[in-house]
This record gives sequence, structure tokens and C-alpha cells, in this order.
Amino acid sequence: MAKETSQEKTTNQILIEQLMQNVGKISAIIEKQGQSIFGHKNLLSNNEINDYSLEFLELLTMLLHAGDKVDRRGAEYKALRQFFANFSQQIQVRGGDMDEFVRYVHFLQRVFLENLEADKSVSFEKAREILMMLGMIFNDIILDVFHIYLEGKEKTIQAQQEELRQTSTPITEIWDGVLTLPIIGSLDSSRTMIVMEKLLSRIESDRARVVVIDVTGVMAIDSQVSHHLIQMIRATGLMGATAILTGIRPEIARALTSLNIDLSAVTTRSKLSEGLKEAFRQLQIEVSRPNK
Amino acid sequence: MAEGIHLTPIGDGNVLLEPGEGLDPSNPDALVAPVLEFLQNNQARRLVYDLKTVRLIDAVYYAWLTKLSATCRIANVEMVTVNMQPAAAYALSLTLDKPTPFTCALDIHHLR
Repeated sequence: MAKETSQEKTTNQILIEQLMQNVGKISAIIEKQGQSIFGHKNLLSNNEINDYSLEFLELLTMLLHAGDKVDRRGAEYKALRQFFANFSQQIQVRGGDMDEFVRYVHFLQRVFLENLEADKSVSFEKAREILMMLGMIFNDIILDVFHIYLEGKEKTIQAQQEELRQTSTPITEIWDGVLTLPIIGSLDSSRTMIVMEKLLSRIESDRARVVVIDVTGVMAIDSQVSHHLIQMIRATGLMGATAILTGIRPEIARALTSLNIDLSAVTTRSKLSEGLKEAFRQLQIEVSRPNK
Repeated sequence: MAEGIHLTPIGDGNVLLEPGEGLDPSNPDALVAPVLEFLQNNQARRLVYDLKTVRLIDAVYYAWLTKLSATCRIANVEMVTVNMQPAAAYALSLTLDKPTPFTCALDIHHLR
């Protein structure tokens, strides 16, 4: 008789019934596992774990109540996914990794499957349907978490790249009206754009009259890089400042010559210190040692 | 005076040119004559072209600046641009293949 009744019930109804009958047990198991996964690293406090467990069960119940079948585009489904998205973000922010969270989600799925296994009144077909439905829900959740994790990683990489860009082009005002720009590494088009943008803004804001561009840290130069350098020097001139190019190593000078790059219109000096002296000379600044 | 051009003698042989909204750089021939007349009447030695309000210097605008500076040179007047905006300098540097025929200064206080 019981078997016949469960045949007529929808998968959602079966799950709701199981949830209602065993809510205390399920909740206790989930909380215990949550504590074992998130508690040992202090990722979540016991209260938070309990709150999350209860909220999860509440949202799942709402989803099952929403219709005979789970609607993936429904508000309840979105709410459940959003809950896990927020949950995983919190874990990530607190230094947890994706493995822990995926283990937790798998565990949640297993709790329901074990419960289903224990209920002998559920037919094979219904059990299969429930299994597929749970699989779909938890797979979607895991995919969401995976995307959030990837987004987080991408953001970190972008932030690191930006930091690297900032630190690799430190424009410093070393004297009133004198800026230094040491270039380290290679100059490609996108980096030139960033460097030039920063340099021209600094010329304007600092009212700089001389810019010493030091290329000691440039390991190799090709026609594109030299073109970018000339472009930078020209833009500096258009702003009304003078550019002094320093630190051209012999191999770079040789490469420039073989590339037929004409630097005759550019003021060059061997070292950064020589470039500074030239900047001071142009600004009619005298630096002298005080008499002892 | 030509439309969109405001000229002010600022002393010491300098004349300040402030371009306005109505300036049409696509017809430089019509603009240079009145400018030169003003410069000669005021015995100017230097024309200071203020680019503060010019957001972009394209080929047409650059041709106008070149023409004006060439005309000034004939009349023994030096042309200096000031206050070129970073974005304009950046865009212009991408198109230039030789130095500008006029001098560029940071601002009016940094004229050499």
C-alpha cells in the first residue's frame, strides 16, 4: 500500500516527506560534518555552520515546495544557488579552498541519498528520478562554486599584474620639475600605452620640465621597442618637457644602430646619474658639496 | 578677428592665442592672415598658442598648427604651444614621424 502511495507522489513530495520526518537527524549530521570540514581551520564558527545548515534546508524545502518538478529558472532555485555562491565566497575570503567546499557539497548530497536508501517504500524509478534531480542540483552548485573560485583567482591574477605594472614603472619626482622613469623588462604596445599615460599625466600634474628615462633594465631592444621609446620621448616633448635617455648599454646601442634608429634628436647619457646632471644643467640647478 | 580665435598681447613681445569653439581648422588659409596681421600690428616676437581646451589634435588640426607656425616663421615670430593635454600629446605622438615645426612648452610660465 505504502509502495503504491509513493509511486503516485512526485519526487519533490517524496523528498519533502523525508526531509520533514528526518529534519533533526539530517540537520545534526550536516552541522557535524560542517564543523569537521570548516571548523578545524576556523573558517566558520559553530554558530555560522548551524545557521548555514538551517538556511540550506530551508531553501531546499522552498525549492521542493515550488512545484512538482524543480524549475532551474525559478526564483527558489536561483536563491539556493545564490546561497551557495555567498557561502563559498565567504569560505574563500577566509582562506578556505575549493576542495573543502566541494567535499561539503558532496556530503550534503550523500546525506539525502543515504536517507533515500533507507526508505524502502520508494520505487526504483522514483529513486532514480530523485538521484538525477539531486545530481542536477548539486552539480549546478559545484559549477557555480567553481566559477566563483575561478573569478576570484582571475581577479587575484589581474591585481597582481596591475601591481607588477605599477612597480615596474615607478615614476618618481626626484627634484622639483624632474621626473625619473626607470624601465625594466620589455616594452610592448600595451605597456607603452600604460607607461605613457602615466608619464604624461605626471608631467601635467607635477609640472615637470625634464624626464629622465632610464633603460638600464631593458634587456633587449627591437624596432618596435625603439619605436615606442621614440614615441614616448616625442609625447614628452609635445607636453613641453625634455626627455633624457640614459642607461643605453653597448649591446642596446649596437642593436639601435643596426636597426637604423636615429636618436640624434634625443639627449642621451650613459648613466642615470649623468642624466640627472644634465637635467640639473638644463634647469640651471647647481648641486655642490657644502664646505666643511 | 577670425571666428574662434582670441588674441591677447601679454607683454614682452608675446601674444596669446586662445582657440574657441568656433575655430574651423579645416580652412587654415582663411585664418592665418588675420592672425599675422594682429601679430605684426602688435610687434609680436612670439605667438603662444594655448591648447588647454583642445582635447584632440588630429591631422586637420595639426595641419592648421603647422601652417600657422610656418607663417609666423616668415614674419620672424616664434610659435610656442602650451598646455597640451596628455591625451592629445599621446594621440599626436602616434602619428608624428618627425619633430614638430613649433616649440612646445609646459605652460605660459615655462616659456624659454
